[in-house]
Amino acid sequence: MADVMNVGVNLEAFSQAISAIQALRSSVTRVFDSLKDGMKNKETLEGREKNFISEFQENLQAVNRDLNELERLSNLVGRPSESHPLHNSGLLSLDPVQDKTPLYSQLLQAYKWSNKLQYHAGLASSLLNQQSLKRSANQMGASAKRRPKVQPSALALPPQYVDDVISRICRMFPDMTIELSRPNGTSAVLLVTLGKVLKAILVMRSLFIDRTIVRGFNENVYSEDGKLDIWSKSNYQVFQKVTDHATTALLHYQLPQMPDVVVRSFMTWLRSYIKLFQTPCQRCGKFLQDGLPPTWRDFRTLEASHDTCRQ
Amino acid sequence: MGDLNSISLDCGRKPEHPEETHSDVGRTCELHVPVAEGKSVQQTVDLLHKKLEQLSAVKQGSFFVDCETYHAAGPTSGQPPKLLYVMHNSEMPLSCMAMFEGGPCLTADANFDVLMVKLKSHFQNAKGHKVESRGARYQYCDFLVKVGTITMSSSARGISVEVEYCPCVVPGDCWNLMKEFMQSFLGSNVPELPSVFTAKPEGLYAPADSTDTMTQYLELFSKVRKQQVVPGSTVR
Amino acid sequence: MEAPPVTVMPVTGGTVNMMEYLLQGSVLDQALDSLLHRLRGLCDNMEPESFADHEMVYLLKGQQGNPFLLRARRSLAHLATPWHLRYLGQPEVGDKSRHALVRNCVDVATSHSLPEFLNEMSFRMDHEFVAKGHIFRKGSLKVVVSKLFRVLVQGNTENTEPLSLSSLVELSVLAPAGQDTVSEDMRAFAEQLKPLVHLEKIDPKRHM
Repeated sequence: MADVMNVGVNLEAFSQAISAIQALRSSVTRVFDSLKDGMKNKETLEGREKNFISEFQENLQAVNRDLNELERLSNLVGRPSESHPLHNSGLLSLDPVQDKTPLYSQLLQAYKWSNKLQYHAGLASSLLNQQSLKRSANQMGASAKRRPKVQPSALALPPQYVDDVISRICRMFPDMTIELSRPNGTSAVLLVTLGKVLKAILVMRSLFIDRTIVRGFNENVYSEDGKLDIWSKSNYQVFQKVTDHATTALLHYQLPQMPDVVVRSFMTWLRSYIKLFQTPCQRCGKFLQDGLPPTWRDFRTLEASHDTCRQ
Repeated sequence: MGDLNSISLDCGRKPEHPEETHSDVGRTCELHVPVAEGKSVQQTVDLLHKKLEQLSAVKQGSFFVDCETYHAAGPTSGQPPKLLYVMHNSEMPLSCMAMFEGGPCLTADANFDVLMVKLKSHFQNAKGHKVESRGARYQYCDFLVKVGTITMSSSARGISVEVEYCPCVVPGDCWNLMKEFMQSFLGSNVPELPSVFTAKPEGLYAPADSTDTMTQYLELFSKVRKQQVVPGSTVR
Repeated sequence: MEAPPVTVMPVTGGTVNMMEYLLQGSVLDQALDSLLHRLRGLCDNMEPESFADHEMVYLLKGQQGNPFLLRARRSLAHLATPWHLRYLGQPEVGDKSRHALVRNCVDVATSHSLPEFLNEMSFRMDHEFVAKGHIFRKGSLKVVVSKLFRVLVQGNTENTEPLSLSSLVELSVLAPAGQDTVSEDMRAFAEQLKPLVHLEKIDPKRHM
C-alpha cells in the first residue's frame, strides 16, 4: 500500500508533465508548419534564406526546451511498482471513485476466499482419502503410483491422457463399447453402447463428465446433420428415468484428485443396467411399478430397485 | 428405385443385427383371448378397455391388421396348394407384408397389392378367407396395447390382444416383465394363462429373429380360420 | 391449388393404373460423350445421377399362355436401398396416333428377401445383367442412358463383360392410363436428340 500512497503524492507532478507534453506537441507542430510554409517573400533571395533558417533554429530550440522540461518532470513522477502482488489488477486501487465501486476490496476478499477454499479442500480430501467409505477409494493403492501423472489442475489434461483412460476402461468391460469423438475442440464426447439395452452419451470436460443422456438401443443418437445429438431426451419413459439417475450418479461419484477413478466408477455403475429389463426389484420383488421396470441402481451395491422402493 | 426408407421394415429381424432395421417396434406379443362364458365378444372387449383405463392407460386412436389369402394355381403334383398371405398393419400404413407359412417373407410397398391383381391367373384370392382384427390402441408408459376384434367374412370370431414393450429390442429379456404386465389386466378375466404362451414359450419367444409381430398375427389368424370347422364353439 | 407434377405424386396406394410410355434407341460408345453433353443441356438443371444396377428377370410358367415376367433390380452402388420389383404388361404398339410404346407398369419397392421369396412363389430366374449409366430428368420425362453388361458367372456381378459397343437410351414417362398427350412431349424431346440418337417406338415382340 505504501507504494500506492507515494504515487498519490506525485499527482501534482503528473498534471505538470501532461501540460509539458502538450507544450512539446505544439512546438513540434510549429516546426513542421514553418517547414511547410517555406520561405516568405523578402526583397532579396539572401534575406529570404536567412530569415527562414533563423526561424527554423528558433523552433527547434523550443522543441528541445520542452523535451528537457518533460524529462525533468517524468523523473519526479516516479514509476509504479512492477512487483505488485496482484499484478495489474492491483492498479484498481488507483481508481479515485473507490467509494462508489468498491471493486478493489471485493477483489481482495475473493482472493482470500479462494485461497482458504483451496486450503480446506486439500485438507478435506486428504482426510477423506483415509476413510474407505467408497468403492472407488479401494483402488487408491493401485492408482497412487500413477498419481504424480495427474496434474492438480485436472481440468487441463492432455487429450492423449483422456484417450488412454477411456480405452483402458473400454477394455475392462467387454459388453460395453465406447466411441470417443471431439466435435468441438479438445472436449471429448463419449457414445457408450451397453449390450443391446441402451446407449448413453457422455459429454466430458477433460476427464470430468459434464452431462449425460441415456436413450434406448434402437433410438437415434445422431441428429439429421450426422452429429451426436446431446440434447433431445429419450422417447421412452424408462430411459428418461435412467437419465435422471445417471445425472444423480455423476454428482455422487466425485474424487477431484483422481478423475480417472471417477469415470471408471461411473462406468461400472452404468454397466449394471445390462439387465435392466431382466431383473426384478430387490425390494418388492416385482418387475413393474407404474409401468416402469426397476430403474434405480444402488451406488455401492448396484442393487436394482424401483425409484419408489429405494427409500 | 422406390422409396421405402420411410417405412419400417420389420421382417426378418435378427437380434444380432437390430441396427439394420430402424423401426421403433420393440418386443411384441399377441394372444388370443377366449371370450368369457356367457358374454359376447363386444362385452369382453369393453371389459378389457375398462381394465386398461383403470391402469390409467391412454387411448390413442385405433388400429387394424388384415390378412388376405392367395392360393397358388397350377400343377401342385398332389400336394395341397401353396398358400400365400398378404398382410397389412396400420402401424406401417405404406407397406404390406407377404409371407408363406413358415417360409420367407417379404416387406414391400402398397403396390404389391396391385401386383397380386396382375398375378391373379397364378395366385387366386380366397375372398372368403380374409381375416382382420380392428380395435383400439392404448398406451401405458412404454407399453402399447391393442385390443382388437377378429372378424372373418363379417362375423366376429374372437379377440386379439397385442402387447408391445417398445424400449427393449431383445424379446427374451423383457418377457417376464411383459408377463407381469399382462397379468395385471388379463389376470382375473382370464383365469389360466392363454394357451398360446403356456404351450410353447420357447418356440414363440426365444428365437427372436423368427417371431415378429406379423407372423404372430398370422398364426393367430390361422387358428381362427380353423375354429370355423369346430361346431359348437363358444366363440360367437 | 395446382395439381402437383407427376413426378412428386405418390405412386403408393396401389390403386392407380399406371402406364409407362417408352421410346428406345441406342448410341455408339464414341458418341456417348456428346449425347451426355446434349442431355445435360436439355434436361433439368441437376447433377446427372449415375447408377449401377443388377437386374434379374424372373419367369413364372403356368399351365397355359405366356409366362409371367417380373424384373427384380437392386442397386450395386447403394446396397442398403430397397430392391425394385417391376411388372410390365403387354405393350400396345398398334395405335399409330400414339408416338410411344405404352404398357402397363407396376413398381414395387421391397425388402432384400425378394429373390428367396420369388423362388417360393415358383418364379425361376431366366437371365440377369448389370446396367451402368446415367439418369436425366426433364419434368416428368426420364432419360436413362445405360450400358449393359453380361454376367459371366451367375450371381457374380464383379465378373461381367459389355454386351455391345453401344449404350441403350430410353426415354420414358410414367402416367395414369389415358394421358396420351405425354407422348407428344416425348416426341418433341426425341426430335431434339437427333441426329445423335434416334428414339423410336420399338416392339419387343418383333425382336424375339
